[in-house]
Amino acid sequence: MDGFLPYLLIIIPALAAAVSTGTSILYATLGELVMERAGVLNLGVEGMMMVGCLASFLGCYHTGSPWFGLLCGGVAAMGMSAIHGAVCLFFQGSQVVSGLALTLFGVGVANYLGTPYIQQKVVGFASFNVPVLSSIPVLGPIFFQHDAMVYLSFFIPPLLWFLFMRTRYGLALRSTGENPEAVRAAGISPSAVRWSALMLGGFLVGMGGAYLALASMRMWVDNLVSGRGWIAVALVIFAFWRPGRAVFGVYLFTGVTAYLFRVQALGVGIPSSFLNMLPYLMTLAVLFASSLKGRGSGAPADLGNNLKPGS
Amino acid sequence: MSGWRIVSRTEPREWGSVVIFAVAFALSLLICALLLAVQGKDGLGGIGLLLSGGFGHLYSYGETLLKAIPIFLCSLGVALCFRLQVWNIGAEGQYVIGTLGGCWFALSFPGLPVWLMMPGMLASAMLAGGLWAAVAAVLRQRWGMNEIISTLMLNYIGIEILKHLIYGPWKDPAGMNFPVSPYFAESAIIGPVWNPDFWTGIGLSDGIVDTLAQLFGRAHWGILSCLIAGALCSFFLRKGMRGFEITAAGSNAKAARFAGIPYSRLVVLVMFVCGALAGLAGMQETSATLNRLEPHIVVGYGYTAVVVAWLAKLRTMRIAFFAFILAGLRVGVENLQLELQISSSFANTLEGIILITVLAGQFFNDYAIRRKPRQSVPGAGV
Amino acid sequence: MSAISQHTNSAPQPGGSAQPVVRLEGISKFFGQVRANYDIHLSIGAGRIKALLGENGAGKSTLMSILAGRLQPDFGRIVVDGEHRVFRSPKDAHLAGIGMVYQHFMLIDSMSVADNVLLGHEGSFRISPAKMRERVAKLSAEYGLEVDPAARVGSLSMGERQRVEILKLLCRQSRVLIFDEPTAVLTPTEAEQLFKAMRRMAEQGKSIVFISHKLPEVLEISDEISILRRGEVVDNFVRAQVPDEAELARRMLGRDLRKGDDIALSAEILPGSSASDAGTAQGLKEIMGELPLPKIKGRGKFLAQSEPVLSLSGVRCSAQDSVGVHDVSFAIAKGQILALLGVAGNGQKELVEAICGLRGLDSGSISILDHPVDEYWKMQPPHGGLGYIPEDRRGVASCPDLDLVDNFLLTTRKLFSRYGLLDRKRAMRATKALIREHNVLPGNPKAKGSELSGGNLQKLIVGRELLRNPRCIIAENPTQGLDVAAMEEVWQRLRIAKESSGILLVTGDVSEALALADYLAVIYRGKIVDLFSVEDRAKVERIGLMMAGSASLAG
Repeated sequence: MDGFLPYLLIIIPALAAAVSTGTSILYATLGELVMERAGVLNLGVEGMMMVGCLASFLGCYHTGSPWFGLLCGGVAAMGMSAIHGAVCLFFQGSQVVSGLALTLFGVGVANYLGTPYIQQKVVGFASFNVPVLSSIPVLGPIFFQHDAMVYLSFFIPPLLWFLFMRTRYGLALRSTGENPEAVRAAGISPSAVRWSALMLGGFLVGMGGAYLALASMRMWVDNLVSGRGWIAVALVIFAFWRPGRAVFGVYLFTGVTAYLFRVQALGVGIPSSFLNMLPYLMTLAVLFASSLKGRGSGAPADLGNNLKPGS
Repeated sequence: MSGWRIVSRTEPREWGSVVIFAVAFALSLLICALLLAVQGKDGLGGIGLLLSGGFGHLYSYGETLLKAIPIFLCSLGVALCFRLQVWNIGAEGQYVIGTLGGCWFALSFPGLPVWLMMPGMLASAMLAGGLWAAVAAVLRQRWGMNEIISTLMLNYIGIEILKHLIYGPWKDPAGMNFPVSPYFAESAIIGPVWNPDFWTGIGLSDGIVDTLAQLFGRAHWGILSCLIAGALCSFFLRKGMRGFEITAAGSNAKAARFAGIPYSRLVVLVMFVCGALAGLAGMQETSATLNRLEPHIVVGYGYTAVVVAWLAKLRTMRIAFFAFILAGLRVGVENLQLELQISSSFANTLEGIILITVLAGQFFNDYAIRRKPRQSVPGAGV
Repeated sequence: MSAISQHTNSAPQPGGSAQPVVRLEGISKFFGQVRANYDIHLSIGAGRIKALLGENGAGKSTLMSILAGRLQPDFGRIVVDGEHRVFRSPKDAHLAGIGMVYQHFMLIDSMSVADNVLLGHEGSFRISPAKMRERVAKLSAEYGLEVDPAARVGSLSMGERQRVEILKLLCRQSRVLIFDEPTAVLTPTEAEQLFKAMRRMAEQGKSIVFISHKLPEVLEISDEISILRRGEVVDNFVRAQVPDEAELARRMLGRDLRKGDDIALSAEILPGSSASDAGTAQGLKEIMGELPLPKIKGRGKFLAQSEPVLSLSGVRCSAQDSVGVHDVSFAIAKGQILALLGVAGNGQKELVEAICGLRGLDSGSISILDHPVDEYWKMQPPHGGLGYIPEDRRGVASCPDLDLVDNFLLTTRKLFSRYGLLDRKRAMRATKALIREHNVLPGNPKAKGSELSGGNLQKLIVGRELLRNPRCIIAENPTQGLDVAAMEEVWQRLRIAKESSGILLVTGDVSEALALADYLAVIYRGKIVDLFSVEDRAKVERIGLMMAGSASLAG
């Protein structure tokens, strides 16, 4: 191989792969972003994704409907979110510890309950080309030759932006993340806002898990999420808690990873153990990049604090 | 009518945490029974197997003790970090890298006598684990990187490095292509505590030696390092100036900075100590139980240690207690695996549930739910 | 004194409606054993400005929190427009037309003024930022509360933030507005503007309740005055009945305040200094023994007598979210108190952080006891160095979860350690002695920092800092929130400490500065407006203007 051409030619398939592998992380990142904007730090994303992943698999496995599976995944992760809500919003437990516990529990329980289904296949979401758009050069193959969940994911960030910036609910949600006392003084219940954000965010995280079972793998294997939940948590920081930047962050992340995998396939001597580490190294790099702009810039001021009870 | 309100307790209830743990523990086991029942297994019988596997027999204590050693060491370090409000979730990775440090020494200098080999392995394991942890500390203090995520990522990376070595440069040529290293030299192996010759040699009767044999089982001399590390930690936290600074900075980091406490250096220090302890745990585990490097040296002790540290509220004696309990549960789950053919992830599930229930139960120690005094009727006055 | 007293009295005529808007009947509130309010009766009329006067801890804030729905009374009832109402939350109070401007603003710094004002009252599910700005602009024009609706709250001055809080209430059509010590964070000029706005609101029929312990402003603005003491209303009268401050003070304290009392204080108020008090227990001095001057590597002893203990020259530092510090220079020698006077948020915090070695300098230099600031903090002599009495007692000066011994050790730990080990027994004895000599309550050294009241915590902190025989002291608003007795005690201790050290007094309170300082440096937007001696009458007269940023004229 000589010249740059092969390295250029693999960019488009790499970006297409970035979009499809990024979709799961994108849903999870946006879900975590919703929760964190309301001031709830939920480090249980990994566990929630696992549970959502298994639930969606089982839903689809037993009914044959991927859409029903998706619903199951979202609702199951919402249930996990509700545990976090009960522990932190009601019982005043530490958000950090609760999130870690949720991850331990979620990963464990999904692997345990999923054991009988290992290597079983489901119908899942099939790829189809979007008419007209898919034939646009460059953009077509990158964005419009995927499955329904990928296309659905394109609508979520603008919807979230609209929700945050142009609705009364969004203003209350953002305010709750910054100063719940001010929200309370304005006659809105910050606890209700946080609960709703947990539910909405939980559903999105569950969709991220569902994507892995229903679209990427279309079968059940152990430890399907393998750290993507944590990557999502890191990407929220990288995104400075903004939906638009989250999209950029996710595709950048998966884009670089996919590109390097393809470079290795070209026969360049990248050791495969390095490629295995790549997602984690990239996560560190992403965190590093966001920290260069200054500590926690854009972080909701009340992130991770519990509401005082009884006031 | 909102007739109830939540008020904060000024004095936590005396026996509160004991009761809370007992109730939460029982509740967790019930949930686990349900999970077993979901898969068509005998739920309560399974819980019985679990408990008897971990604590039911004399010999199960030996197995439990064996697992409690690394959990205790890791947890001691994690607790130190938590005390300073540094959320180090990276004991797992530090354990792995420490193991690698120890193995490197053992494999590189097989000919050394015990008195050189052991200190060398100890030092290189502790140094490797400590430096690995210090990376996250420096990233946190210098660039403000979130240590929860960075330590977790370093866990994953550490495990990949282990795999790389064991499938590559360190693979035993005579190992039939299994991912294992060559066996360590005799001098690099930590022996079991129970050694009949040694104990009868100091004049104990056969009956006692027999009981000891069962009680200690495969538990190795690493238990000594637990005693030393535990004693040193609690001594320095209580009496040492650095220990005081850690406690103070953990309680209020801002006040500590204004009081001239070198906060950043403390963060690096506690992380290094935690990494060193975890590394020590990993090296002992490899040397004593496997006698060579194998992939299943990584079984999640580092994560269990986080659970233990939190359950123990960072107190040394309680860490020992909870390390023993959770080690017992791990042994019990292994028993379940054998008897009921369930997945090993059941241990994590159980730990997660215990943590969640205790976390929620803690509420009843810190707060009381009281009936609101009624609004006075007009004219009632005072 | 300050600009406030120059105002001529022109209280607006009361609206004079027969039925009060709000009546409090027999309100009582207990916190555990503490009686915060007891059988309080109060009525508030439309178009009237009512001042609620009392010392700290008299129960003013509790009473108003009850009226604003934040707290529920244990007994008694609230009557609005002749109708008995029960407030379970601030929302209920809002619905009854009652709102409160808290001392600590409840605003969201990262959002715009319009977002803050309209939060919870947006009107429709879909919101439009442009329309929201328009609504707020209209409202602020109506009441003369100037503020840019598009500005981020974090970038506003304290006065502007307060206007945002008021707009929030006006937007909710509140008829009763409660102000909790509203002038504490304002410059004299801003306070004047606030009073004008308050009068305008009263003219439009709003009722205003105004909590204060500053006598001149109460006389200036109020129509009616109620005095609270120990949780009870002890006096109720109209403004016209009190001729002057002395009379008002007499009514507030229930005793005569001697003229010039705030300056001439005898040493006898210090509990530790009276001989009878020493008793049998070991005194602090004995426990600590003699503390020789620390030896510092390289320079032998540090600092000769005549040199300044703290000197800043051309200090600049920038800060992301605040004004920063621009070209500040001054020096303080032993035996001097320099008051850095200014409204909060004008760079004082950054300056103190820079002196404490926690903020890098862009240019200029700071030298503490003849050592560059970095070098000083690297060696940190255990005593005879710099003592710091922070403004934020709970956030910066103490650890709320730790006991008093640990809180005592926080800055004195090096005096009790040897070979890296702490002598906790001696520390315990010293803490007990300090508690006794400084009259800290409760006197249990095992009590948590969070269990102490602000005043008692401050006594512990002051005692702890002075114990180290500091030769340079930084005291930030050392008497904020303290009652008169505690304030007098802190002042007296600082005066005594001045004998052996140089003191930088950072304060926003003109009377405190005048009572203690030898020199005044007025700071505005990170710059020193002027530095002068308290003897300079002409300049002292102009302090109010300087604090608002107008540079002093020569002469």
